[in-house]
Amino acid sequence: MAKVEEKSVATGLSDERLRDLFREMLLMRRFEEKVEERFRAGELPGFLHVAIGQEAVAAGVMSALEPDDTIMSTHRAHAHTLAKGTHPNAIMAELYGKLEGCSQGYGGSMHLYDVANGMLGANAVVGGGLPQITGTALAYKLRKQPRVAVAFFGDGATNTGAFHESLNLAQLWKVPALFVLEMNGWAESTPMSQHLPITDLSERAKAFGMKAISVDGQDVEAVHDATAEARAYAVEGNGPVFLNVRTYRMVGHYIGDPQVYREKDEIADLRDTKDPIELLRARLEISDEDFEALDTEVTAIVEASVEFAKAGTDPNPEDALKYVYA
Amino acid sequence: MPELTYREAVRDALSAAMRQDEDVFIMGEDIAEMGGSMGVTQGMLAEFGPERVRNTPISEIAIVGAGIGAAMQGMRPVVEIMYQDFLTISMEQIVNQAAKHRTMSGGQLKVPLTLRTQGGAGWSPGAQHAQQVESWFCHVPGLKVAYPSTPEDVRGLLWSSIYDDNPVIFFEHRLLYPLKGEVPEEIEPIPFGKARVMREGSDVTVIAIGRMVPEAMQAAQDAEQEGISVEVIDPRTLLPLDEEALIASVKKTTRCVTAHEAVTRGGFGAELAAVVQSGAFDYLDAPIERVGAKFAPLAFSPAMEQWAVPHAADVLEAVKRTVARA
Amino acid sequence: MATEVKLPRLGQGMESGTIVKWLKGEGEAVKKREPLYELDTDKVTQEVEAEADGVLLKILVDSGEVDVGSTIAFIGKEGEEVSAPEPSSGNGAAPAAAEDEEAAVEDADEPETEGSAAPAMDDQRERGQEAAAATAAGATDHVAQSNDVPSNGRVKASPLARRLAREKGIEISEVSGTGPDGRIVAEDVENFTPGAAKAAAPAAHPRSGEVEEIQLSNTRKTIARRLTEAWQAPVFQLTVNADMTRANDLRERLVARLREGETKPTVSDLLTKVAAAALLRHPAVNAHYTGDSILRFPAAHVGIAVAAPNGLVVPVIRDADRRSISEIAAARAELVGRAREGKLQLADMEDGTFTISNLGMFGIEQFVAVLNPPQAAILAVGATVETPVVRDGEVTVRPLLTLTLTCDHRAIDGAEGADFLRTVKELLEEPALAL
Repeated sequence: MAKVEEKSVATGLSDERLRDLFREMLLMRRFEEKVEERFRAGELPGFLHVAIGQEAVAAGVMSALEPDDTIMSTHRAHAHTLAKGTHPNAIMAELYGKLEGCSQGYGGSMHLYDVANGMLGANAVVGGGLPQITGTALAYKLRKQPRVAVAFFGDGATNTGAFHESLNLAQLWKVPALFVLEMNGWAESTPMSQHLPITDLSERAKAFGMKAISVDGQDVEAVHDATAEARAYAVEGNGPVFLNVRTYRMVGHYIGDPQVYREKDEIADLRDTKDPIELLRARLEISDEDFEALDTEVTAIVEASVEFAKAGTDPNPEDALKYVYA
Repeated sequence: MPELTYREAVRDALSAAMRQDEDVFIMGEDIAEMGGSMGVTQGMLAEFGPERVRNTPISEIAIVGAGIGAAMQGMRPVVEIMYQDFLTISMEQIVNQAAKHRTMSGGQLKVPLTLRTQGGAGWSPGAQHAQQVESWFCHVPGLKVAYPSTPEDVRGLLWSSIYDDNPVIFFEHRLLYPLKGEVPEEIEPIPFGKARVMREGSDVTVIAIGRMVPEAMQAAQDAEQEGISVEVIDPRTLLPLDEEALIASVKKTTRCVTAHEAVTRGGFGAELAAVVQSGAFDYLDAPIERVGAKFAPLAFSPAMEQWAVPHAADVLEAVKRTVARA
Repeated sequence: MATEVKLPRLGQGMESGTIVKWLKGEGEAVKKREPLYELDTDKVTQEVEAEADGVLLKILVDSGEVDVGSTIAFIGKEGEEVSAPEPSSGNGAAPAAAEDEEAAVEDADEPETEGSAAPAMDDQRERGQEAAAATAAGATDHVAQSNDVPSNGRVKASPLARRLAREKGIEISEVSGTGPDGRIVAEDVENFTPGAAKAAAPAAHPRSGEVEEIQLSNTRKTIARRLTEAWQAPVFQLTVNADMTRANDLRERLVARLREGETKPTVSDLLTKVAAAALLRHPAVNAHYTGDSILRFPAAHVGIAVAAPNGLVVPVIRDADRRSISEIAAARAELVGRAREGKLQLADMEDGTFTISNLGMFGIEQFVAVLNPPQAAILAVGATVETPVVRDGEVTVRPLLTLTLTCDHRAIDGAEGADFLRTVKELLEEPALAL
């Protein structure tokens, strides 16, 4: 449940809405499992990172945003992009490097873009997108638009200069930005004990005088409520909000990561106790029958996305130069 | 025609753009009340107010990143990095973000950002306030690079930069600010990729950049006393580069000298020399000579500083080498 | 398997040499280290020794200019076949021949004799060291303009000159170059008259009344280039008179005490000694200006300008500060003797830190000498002239010597030069102080 530090304006979600989010999270899960499978089969080029275990953050944050709001994501971007409204076909086609991909094959897994849906890009430099979210929010403020710009990043990013400069500037200028920390406890393979001198990263936001909300990232409703509160606060001109979301990465840093740096038991334990999909399934008391039906439905969507991607168009090699300049 | 200093010409272009277009705003360190470290933006706060003339914290990552964010929303921010040397701090945002968004997004995003910066030797600022780094950015696809040398060019090119849909790194030289020159009554945009023949000649072409343009003009005058006719060309923008004009000039004169204040090794002169030798090989009657600073971090003491950076005499010497006889 | 005789690189900056004559004929037996041919480089004419034992099988270049590294002959076993082309004179034809030869030798595909392999390795090592030195030096300065790499027989011509020659149907190798390092530039092609082949073999004796055209020897070309370079330096001159009364006395005493076989010391020798002593006291003057830095030397190696038959040469009396006047006289006599015979080695002329040019013997009273770069100063010495002077309120006649110091102002300031010259004057007037 939400552990809200300041007075909550949580609205709560209907069971029907929660079932939609459950389906969305299951789609993310099956999509990324398929990505892993196809990568291991040698079909997908490049460097891929999946967010298995973190689906409730993507689903919860995006469920509280308006279509005009914008996000920038990280190298672990498939779930965010799906949640922001990009069709699975466009994402899968991008992973296959096809023209039908959401970045026309120019970006790949770490650079998913869908500007029409408010996805301003997955950023593969840790912390790289944060200052641009400050700037995007500055544009909304200068143009007096009721929109927010949302940055996703992990605990590793909070150690970068870009993080501190961006939060400082955003708070100084009171721009409508949300800084969503996906606190999964790992900076690639480095545990927080080795890269963080403090455990509560809200302290870092508070140091800039920024409002911070801590929330359980495995609880999609709590994430939704916290985001809704933060969004309302920001668009009203009160300034940015720091969302400290505790979540768990149930997989390696990248597909193929042997995870020599953590105990096998820990992963098994996480899957037993922290899986956001299982937690929500229990809460909504979804029957096996219903689950099977949903699973079949989303699996079909994922399978279709693979078919779509494979049938996609390979770009002309010389089109590599097409978008260097506007 | 009215006369403006180089400094006034920069201010004139900024102010004119801001008067006609709400999307143009400026931000940087000390640019508001103080009017910038070089006095370029003096008086602009009074005319445009603090929302559009934004003093920033000392946060080069956030200044550039916020500029990129606002530019991605269609605004036309002009950010100032106080000294070229400090570009190193914002390098990630310039190189990985501003330059790459358009390609990575498959053409969905544009980054119409202008980044003004200045620097240069000649007043003993020491090694961290005088380096000339224009060549670094000419190696980055997706960026444009301008380095005008006259009041007319700085005004016309800054205007074009602001209205260019690509990120432009706009170099000014500290010693050029007080130089006066005639400018057209109305701002005439100067297209990128068009060199200016500063002076016609028949024996040697000197391709000069920034402060070395007036120095080359002096050298040309001195050479004339010795019966050598020097053509001086200022490329004005380095990326894109008016290769045709440079090659045509060298085909005419058969000899070429490049001149910039940056260190010679790996400097932009190397690129110029490569372009010229490739395009005018069968017309070259002497090896291409390069003039630049000696390969050392700039020393403080005036005698060492003056010795290390090039002057008209160095250009003259290089010119003579190209016409030398055994 | 025949050993190639390749034109060796005999010093820094040497790119080519002119074969004057062969001391052995084809078919003649040669021994390792036996003089094989005479070579005129830009500094001296010298004998080059054979690097292998055997028979001189084939001479590829009889005479003329050849690039360093070119094959000029073969030494091998008697009767051994070498697939050599017809012997040719130098200048263009030779490089092509050398290339053919190299190919022929490669075809033989056998290890070379020790005699030729070792020098090749030395050569590579030397180049490697030069490359390393160039890197170190280049790292602190703009990129070197060096053309020091042997051009392996290629004709040096600008791209434009090549194109013009192509268009005009001119054989580029027939054009002589006036650009830096003899590069053929466009103007040379434009001024080229077919038939007037370059380096026209040393012209036949002119008939009386005709204009005599003297082909520049390498030495002459080097003199011209270096002096022209020197002329670019910002220099200043300082002049002083020295009363030679005591110096002359000293010289006479030395002459009187001369032992059998010893060389008679001259005023020049005394000057060498005095200048060397003064140089050690004024290290600013005992210096090289390199463009990047000023090198100040702990020892005085004094060059003395000598008019040799082929032109001016400057052999060096090393460690002049540590030698006695008679030792200096002996060294000077030996060097001057060889200079007049054109037999100086490159090493004889290297490492000078200062130069003295004396034209007193021609009755010249005073003159200005041109710098000998990279040395930072040169002393011009005139004749000793009996001159009325005022001493202690009385007019008296003294032998006065006029000395003019030319200083490179990039390395030496006026006061430093003046200080040095004052010391020279004092030491000449009180020569005991220098000994």
